[in-house]
Formats: sequence, C-alpha cells, structure tokens
Amino acid sequence: MVTRAARVGHHRVDGSRVAESSARFRGGAAVRVGSDGFTPDGQTLLTTAPAGEVQRAVGLTMLASIPLVIAATLPFARQAFPGFEGVLPAYATALFLVELITGALLLGHFFAERRLAVLSLAAGYVFSATLVPAWALTFPGVLDVFGATSLDQATAYIAALRRVGFPLAVLLYAATRERPPLPAAWTWLRGLGTVCSAALAAFLLSWAIIGSDRLLPPLMRDARFVSSLWGVVPPVVIALYLAGLAALWRGRRSALDLWLMVVLGTLLADLVLLSYIGGGVRLSVGWWVGRAFGLVSASIVLVALLVETTSLHSRLGRSVAAERRARESRLTAMEALSATVAHEVAQPIASMVTNADAALRWLDKPQPEVGEARRALSRIVGDGHRAGEVVAGVRTLFGKGSPAHRPVDMRSLVTEMLARGRPEAEHARVKLLSETGPGELEVSGNAVQLGQAISNLLANAVEAARSTPGGPRSVVVRCARVPPGKITVSVEDTGPGIAAEHRQHIFEAFFTTRPDGMGMGLMFSRTIVEAHGGRLWVEDVAPHGAAFRFTLPAYEATADA
Amino acid sequence: MPERNPPRHEAMDAEPIVFVIDDDDSMRASLESLLRSVGHRVVTLDTTQAFLAAGRPAAPACLVLDVRLPGASGLELQRELAAAGNPLPIVFVTGHGDIAMSVAAMKAGALEFLTKPFRDQELLDAVHRGIELDRQRRRRERHLDDLRRRYAALTPREQEVMRLAASGLLNKQIAAGLALSEATVKVHRAHAMQKMQATSLPDLVRIIDALDATLPES
Repeated sequence: MVTRAARVGHHRVDGSRVAESSARFRGGAAVRVGSDGFTPDGQTLLTTAPAGEVQRAVGLTMLASIPLVIAATLPFARQAFPGFEGVLPAYATALFLVELITGALLLGHFFAERRLAVLSLAAGYVFSATLVPAWALTFPGVLDVFGATSLDQATAYIAALRRVGFPLAVLLYAATRERPPLPAAWTWLRGLGTVCSAALAAFLLSWAIIGSDRLLPPLMRDARFVSSLWGVVPPVVIALYLAGLAALWRGRRSALDLWLMVVLGTLLADLVLLSYIGGGVRLSVGWWVGRAFGLVSASIVLVALLVETTSLHSRLGRSVAAERRARESRLTAMEALSATVAHEVAQPIASMVTNADAALRWLDKPQPEVGEARRALSRIVGDGHRAGEVVAGVRTLFGKGSPAHRPVDMRSLVTEMLARGRPEAEHARVKLLSETGPGELEVSGNAVQLGQAISNLLANAVEAARSTPGGPRSVVVRCARVPPGKITVSVEDTGPGIAAEHRQHIFEAFFTTRPDGMGMGLMFSRTIVEAHGGRLWVEDVAPHGAAFRFTLPAYEATADA
Repeated sequence: MPERNPPRHEAMDAEPIVFVIDDDDSMRASLESLLRSVGHRVVTLDTTQAFLAAGRPAAPACLVLDVRLPGASGLELQRELAAAGNPLPIVFVTGHGDIAMSVAAMKAGALEFLTKPFRDQELLDAVHRGIELDRQRRRRERHLDDLRRRYAALTPREQEVMRLAASGLLNKQIAAGLALSEATVKVHRAHAMQKMQATSLPDLVRIIDALDATLPES
C-alpha cells in the first residue's frame, strides 16, 4: 500500500524548522472574506453600493421599454375596457402588501445603517401603502362600502395624494442621501416613530377626505370621467417625478438610486397613460395598462431588496464557512507548530538535565572528576544555545521581522539537499539522480526554508521508492526554468504512487500513512512554497510513482516587485 | 539438539555493558557520562543498525534506547531482538510521552519507559535492574549449557537408565524393562549421577526437568 507520508526528519534539530512551520501563520491562513465581494463595510448594500453593470443594464432596458409599451397602447388607449372591476380589490391588495413590505425592508435597512435618506423612503412607501385601502374601498362600484353613489371625489383625491406623496419622499431621499448616518441613540424610536407617523398621516388624511367628500371641489364629473380640475393634478405630479429623476441622476448613484429612477419612470408612464393617453377615463385600456405599470413600479424596489437580501445572506453564509475553515486550519497549524516546538525544545532540555545530573555525580565522587564535569557542563552550554535558537526562530516569525529574502541558487540548493539525503537513500538502496536545466536558476527567498521543503519531498520520495519490491528504485530531482519567469523543481519517485483516497489529505497537518510519521513535512513544504509565491502539487508518474512539483517565481521576476 | 549458544569464554562476572542508542549527539554524550559516573561500561551508538552489526554482547548488557531513531526505530529493534531469541533488557527513553507507544513497548517486554527529561536515578535504577536481569539470564543459560554438555557426555544406555530412574522406577523395574541385570542398572545409574553431578534422586529429577524444558520432545 502507499507508504508516502508527510515527514519531518526528527534527527537534526535547529531553529529553522520551527521557523518554517510558523510561516503558515503569516501567509497560509489569511481570512479572505472579501474575495467574493462581500466586505463588512457594507459596500454591497443596495442603499450604498454603486449599481453594477448588470443592474444598470436591466434598469436602463426597463426605462427604455416604457415608451414602447406606451406606443403599443396608443391606438386602443381610450377604448373602454369594463367588466374587470373585480380585479381591482386583488390589485389593491397586491399594491398594499408590496408597498408595505418594501417600507418594512427599508426600515430594516435604516436600523442597520441609520441613514435619514433610507428612513424617508421607508416612510414614503408606508404612506403610499396606507392610502391604498382607502382608495380601493372608495372606488366606485367595486366594494360599495360607503354606498355606490355617496363618494364621488374621495377616490381621485386619495389617488392624487399618493401620487404627490411618493415623489416628495423620493426627493427627500435624494436630498439627504449624502448625509452621514444618524447617531446610534434612539434609532428604533426614530425609525418606528417616523414610519408610524407616515401611516397615521395617511390614515387621517384619507379619513378627512372621505368625511368631507361633498365639500371638496370636484375632480370627477362622475364615477368614470374627470372634471376640469383634474387637469391640474397630472402636471404637478409629472413635475415632481421629473424633479425626483433629476435629483437621483445627480451625483454618485447607488443601486437603490438606479431602481428608484426606474420606479419614477414607470410611475411617469402610468400617469401619462392614465391622464393623457387614456384621457383620464377610468377602466379604459390606457387606464388598465397604467395600473399594470403602477404594480410593476411598486414591486421594483421590493424585488431589488429581496434579491439583495438573499444574495447577501448566501454570501454571508459562504464567508462564515470560509472563515471557519480558515480558523480550523489555523488551529491545526497551531497544534502542529506547538507539537514541533515541544519536540524541538524538549530534546535539548532533556540533554541538559541529564548532562547536569552527570556533572553533579562526577563532582560528588570522593575524588571529584572535574574534567568529566567540565565536559558535561560545556554540553549544557551547547544545548542551551540550541534551545535558544528554536525559541528565537519562533520569535522571529511571530515578530515583525520576517526572514530575509535573498537570491537563492536552486541548482546548488538541490545539489546540497541531494548530498544530504544520499546516506539515507543508499541505506534504502534507492538511486538518487538529478537533472538541472541550463541558465540561471535563481529564486528569491529563504534558502534554509526552501532547502527544508526540498529535503522533505526528497525524504518522502526515498521512503516511497524503498517500498518498491523489485525493479528500479530511484528518485529523480529536476530543476529547470519554465517560461514565463518561473523555476520549477520536481521530485519524482518510482514508488507505488498516491492512493486516490489519500490524495486530498496528504498536505494536511498530521496526515501520514507511516506508523512513525508525524504528518507535517508536506504541510510545511507547501506552506514554505506558498509563502514564496509558488505552488506545490502532486502528479502521477507512469508506470507507477508520484511526482511532487513546485514552481517559484524566478529571481529577476520578483526583483522589481 | 541444535547448538544454540556459542562457546562462552567470559568469566562469570564479566563487566556488564550498557549500550546507549540515541541519534542526538548531546543526548548520547550526556547519557554516556551519567552512566560512566556511576561506574558503568558504556558503548554509544547512533543507529540500531550499528548495534545489530556489532553482534551479541559477550557480557551482561542493558540497552538504553531512543524510541524514535532514523532508519529502524527503537521499537523495531526490540521486536528484532525478541525474534532472534536475544531478549536484552531495554530501557526506552523518548521525547514524545506517547501512551500508545509506551504500552506497546512495555507489552513487548521493555524494562522501563522514561519520558525525556527523566530523573537520573530512575534511569540508573532501571539500568541496574536490567543488568541484574541479564546477568541472571546469562547465568541460567550457562548452567543449562553445562547440563546439556554433561547430558551429551552420557552414553545412550546411561541416559535411558537415568530417565527411567527419574520417572520413579525402582532399579529392579528398570532392569526388567531393559532386560538388564539389576547390578548393571546400578552401575549405569551411578555413572549418570556422577557425570550429571547430581547428589540425590530429587536433584536428578530437577536436572531432567530443566533439560526437558529447554529441549524439543525427544
């Protein structure tokens, strides 16, 4: 079976190995929350993020299609299209719910962002929504709650109120959108208070309109046809819509601004169809198409908010998962590091204790043997320095100064590592070969770390090749330039290869298939290579065996960076 | 019977040897110094292969062995020695206080399992115990060798008579069984007792038991 395993040679102790293991803490496990576009500073919030390409395209297409729909409606606009009054309550219900939910979602945004602009818009939607029931209940011939003929003017007045109220809210929004967030205190009270006031105002106004129906100057000649007074309303509202559009156009536009422009555009179309093309005649084709525009325009912001919420939620989920993974790998690396440090420091400490015991015994003899004691004490000094180096290595890595990056000649590094690995390979009766390509083979980095990465791969390869029963047992180390500006090193063995089920785990800490392996070598090697801006991977070799390859940027490629 | 043991020339109390096998230079030197300071003869090695290559020690010995070693590990050496019928006492030292590993080592007959850093007295006591055990084992083996040599020096007839006597038969019964005269049996028996250096019948029984315990059924 597979005997390849991550390996840390344990027989030579120095600070550098610890240094390599903690390299992971600097480069390996960074939390990349921002990689999928989500950043905690709210840059993707609908209310603050600039409109994306797709959003702009969709919005402009919708705006551009409005004249087309109007043009298509023109020939039939004034034709009466009665008999569909029954749809009106459903229409009103939809309108009411859509606007109310939009208001609620915007209020939620306000609670998170505390921006006055968003609150004005929320109030505008709630105000508009609250007027819908009154409008529907007073619509002649629909519900007859107030009697079929008693209310002639209320419906038109309420409709006019809605048309004036909403663009005013948008104007307020546009005027205040550059303002900084409100102070955190009283956010809930402020938000709920404003929205409830808007709802209350709408309720009281519609109550007043219904109550004083007969006293109001007539907007309607009868249940279907407008009076001459109605002629004043559309120009005013259109002026408000255009003012809103202009205000939104000005300055840096967020995604919400874009959608509000589409909303105003559709409302404008609605009004034009209703008042001019449909001639103000209720239940005409133009009027019905206007209703459809009204529903669409009410839904636009809701849909945008829902899309945003959903995608935000899923992105949030992804980044939480990514962060958890990063934290886990950081933990594993932490455990790996502490195990290594413990081992590397325990060795000199054990040696120091035993040397000190020996020295004491030599001195406690009836004839103290000072020479022996001296030798034991000088070994203690050596061990102390050794332990100190390990600790210093760790400190360097956790401190600010990272190990210096210098030009490293990979050709001589490979030769050196092969020379070091030769005794072990000869013992295992594995042939070590090397092939280095022509030209400069320099990279920028830490020679000790890179040497450790190569020697780990080499030790694994020898271990794998040794388990080949017959046939050639060899390990080939290749080093060459590959365009553009890269140096590649590969360590190829004639072992049994990597089993498919192990392949995805071999670079994990503590993963090993050897009974005495620590399962750290490959993890360290990969960490080192990645910290040098390279990549380490494994490939199968025919007819059997594995090749671990890594690439590093060539020295000149990194020199100008 | 195979000649299991090479001839032993060393005196009964040849100076014991403590073998220290550790790959860490300083650790090896410190162990050597400590053991020498209490008067042990110490041989240090950095791999188990070097130990196996040196052959069997010719004196009572004890091994102080690092669990993790390059090449074959300490546990592997323990298995190898046991398989070769050479159960030297082993004191393991390890940098990793690994419970599973120490259980495996103790089950395989290790004398002691010490986690670095350890108290010198614990190591010295364990080594002392190990040497004593090995000394006793060697003494037992030497004694058995003597017995085997003496037994081999008996004539087949003497061996036969001795075994029958040890199984509790009277001279008369032995004579009848072997179709010999009782006087001849007595002579054979006396010769056997003398050659085996047995002073009494129970002594003879013990000798036969000791021999049979180490010999395949014959």
